[in-house]
Amino acid sequence: MDLFFQQVLNGLTLGSIYGLVALGLTLVYGILHVPNFAHGALYMVGAYISYFVMVDMGLNYWVAMIAAAGVVALISVLCERLIFHPLRHAPPIHDKIAAIGVMLFLEAVVQMHWGADFRRMPTPYTSILHFGDITLPAQRLLIIVAAFSLMGLLHLYLKKTMTGSTIVAMAQNREGAFLVGINANRVAMMTFAIAGGLAAVAASLFAPINLVYPAMGHLLLTKAFVIIILGGMGSIPGAIIGALIIGFAEALGGFYISGTYKDLIAFALLVFILSVKPTGLFTKGVR
Amino acid sequence: MLKLENVDAKYDSFKALDSVSMQVAPGELVVLLGANGAGKTTLFNTISGLLKPSAGKVSLNGLDVTGKKPSSLVEAGVVQCPEGRKLFPEMSVMKNLMLGGYVHRRDKAGMKKTLGHVMEMFPILQEKKDEAAGSLSGGQQQMVAIGRALMGRPKLLMLDEPSLGLAPLVVKQVFEAVQAINKEGTTVLLAEQNAFAALKIATRAYVIENGRLVMEGDRDAMLGNEAVRKAYIGA
Repeated sequence: MDLFFQQVLNGLTLGSIYGLVALGLTLVYGILHVPNFAHGALYMVGAYISYFVMVDMGLNYWVAMIAAAGVVALISVLCERLIFHPLRHAPPIHDKIAAIGVMLFLEAVVQMHWGADFRRMPTPYTSILHFGDITLPAQRLLIIVAAFSLMGLLHLYLKKTMTGSTIVAMAQNREGAFLVGINANRVAMMTFAIAGGLAAVAASLFAPINLVYPAMGHLLLTKAFVIIILGGMGSIPGAIIGALIIGFAEALGGFYISGTYKDLIAFALLVFILSVKPTGLFTKGVR
Repeated sequence: MLKLENVDAKYDSFKALDSVSMQVAPGELVVLLGANGAGKTTLFNTISGLLKPSAGKVSLNGLDVTGKKPSSLVEAGVVQCPEGRKLFPEMSVMKNLMLGGYVHRRDKAGMKKTLGHVMEMFPILQEKKDEAAGSLSGGQQQMVAIGRALMGRPKLLMLDEPSLGLAPLVVKQVFEAVQAINKEGTTVLLAEQNAFAALKIATRAYVIENGRLVMEGDRDAMLGNEAVRKAYIGA
């Protein structure tokens, strides 16, 4: 039973990270209908900025995380302004090609600057907590708490503030949003900034228990797509629940079935759920 | 107040508006009559800035607003209550109304006052304020849509077929509300197929056919016009 709970905790950690990444992806998709293939690269850049600020500049972990969130949010907004905005009237395939271009560009820049080596990011939280027979490294606890706090904040922002509501309004009825005077450009920039910031925070949280390298965003991006397809493209609760499903499935599947195949589980689940419920689990749009 | 000069609008190569010129004076209630597909909604969307005219000029109180963004037009006081309502279906009625006042979001006191006014006009919305807008009946949704438009404190309110798909009793209620809004000093441009009911509350009317304005006249002239009676009133 303890082993089971241990896996549940691991699943929760994974689910938290996936959730932060998938939320950004689903927000951008719900509002602009752009599948942002560059989202994984933004995550990767976030990890590198954190690493750079912490290791090369010797600053505090939290400062590094905030710096990464700021820089990546800015890069994300620049992508919107310089690439996706000019393409808004183009056929949808152009957005997708451009997004892949951004992904390759960011990876190449990082590789040129920092090299292709695998790096390990240090964390100030190295202690290990014990709850009976269950062990929980402090960094994992931090991931869970930070991720869920951020999701809670995002929820409050979208539900309770006027500016946050404009994002939801735009997802629920685009023309209706225009007709009440919501500025489409502002909403687009805000959405990209939030998506980029969340990805960078997720990367800064996850990097200490993972490795930092230029291609680190690939698998995560494909999993994030699996999650938002499961949850229904554009659905916020869908992204969170989808992330937890994939997180638990990987942790439990990796332990009880085979660790070698743990990355396969997400995709097997995708095939299964889509053949049973082709529209995804929660397809009501952003709430 | 609103002036259109030779406005053309196109969907790809299809010309949906052909040299439309019209005027709405402050305080008027102008009705735009036309069958399905005649170009009423296109004309409204062109005025609202959702569509850019391919030629011609739209001006508001003498200022050129041709091709301006919808958000600038709402800020200038031109608010459209669109056909099909275009509410935010999963948000509460209250949230829909508050978003209607988006351009006045910093004026909390003013928004509260307008909200009180909307609730007074449609008391049912007070009762339903926490329900999702999409769960309401058609008539109630229309009230939310009109209320949401009013929250933008329009100087010119454009209503696109507010009676569409509503029960006769509700239609009457909606027209009464429109008339009341106009009497309080808001200029109204009303697109309708329900010609008789619309003309009864109108100051003036235009008739649109195939993207062209083919007729113009004041209420009595329109109500008495044989062609209008035949085509839109059926008596």
